Amino acid sequence: MRRIPALLVTHADLGAALLRAAQQIYGPVGDVEFLSNSEFSRTDLENAIRERVSGWTHGGLVLTDFPGGSCQQCGLLAARGNAEILVVTGMNLPGLLDYLHNREQYPVAELAERLMTRARDSVRVQHARPE
Amino acid sequence: MSWLNQRVDDRLIHGQVVVAWGSALRPARIYVVDDQVAASPWERDLLVSAAPDAEVRVLTVAEAAAVWEAERSAPGGALLVLRDLRTARALVESGAAVPAFTLGGLHYAPGKAKIAEYVYLDDADREDARALLQRGVKLEVQDVPATRPQGLMVLDPTVAP
Repeated sequence: MRRIPALLVTHADLGAALLRAAQQIYGPVGDVEFLSNSEFSRTDLENAIRERVSGWTHGGLVLTDFPGGSCQQCGLLAARGNAEILVVTGMNLPGLLDYLHNREQYPVAELAERLMTRARDSVRVQHARPE
Repeated sequence: MSWLNQRVDDRLIHGQVVVAWGSALRPARIYVVDDQVAASPWERDLLVSAAPDAEVRVLTVAEAAAVWEAERSAPGGALLVLRDLRTARALVESGAAVPAFTLGGLHYAPGKAKIAEYVYLDDADREDARALLQRGVKLEVQDVPATRPQGLMVLDPTVAP
């Protein structure tokens, strides 16, 4: 199956840091770009994302950090009209690692659902057991 | 209660608005005043989905000017967000008696000069700011509630009427 590309769009340098962290665990990573929303207006961020995903002739994933934020909204604006580009919001390190391990195993929609579940399920509250 | 803050922000509703200002002011309604977005049902829905804890109303400048007074006495608080000083000026010149605007995010574009970390203005912006100040509208620069508001005229004396 074809490798599905991804673009991390986040506040500040979270995307770059997430990718660095993922590389420490996964190893060298290709076909993943990152983009910070810093310095961008709504229109300019939408255009910057559109420019980066324009070469995705077989679809891809825009991975964003925060529901309702500019990264998510501009990702959706940039992907409008392209059913093969999906936006996954609330991305974290477990979700990104799951993407890296499975981006050649699933079609884009199935991969997006999988990442959402993995990212969500990795948030846990745990208590250390008393001795 | 009604109007809590009128924000000029070229990202419209986003994280700072929903999380920072939303948590501090707890608005019941968020008005987005933008002719372009108001004309697109899809973009309206996108903004509505961005602020699940408030009712989002997306209006044209003319519509917002028409409801400004009625909203002043409505129960619950309201935020107003628009994308640039041109729209702010248009709203006031259309009859809305807005006492103040907070410049919360006007990002860099070619020809714009830095006024604050998150506010860049060009000559057209300054002209709009001057027109608002001449009408007695207060203009302050503040991105989130945790920072101190600063007068635009202090940061950029060239906007003085």
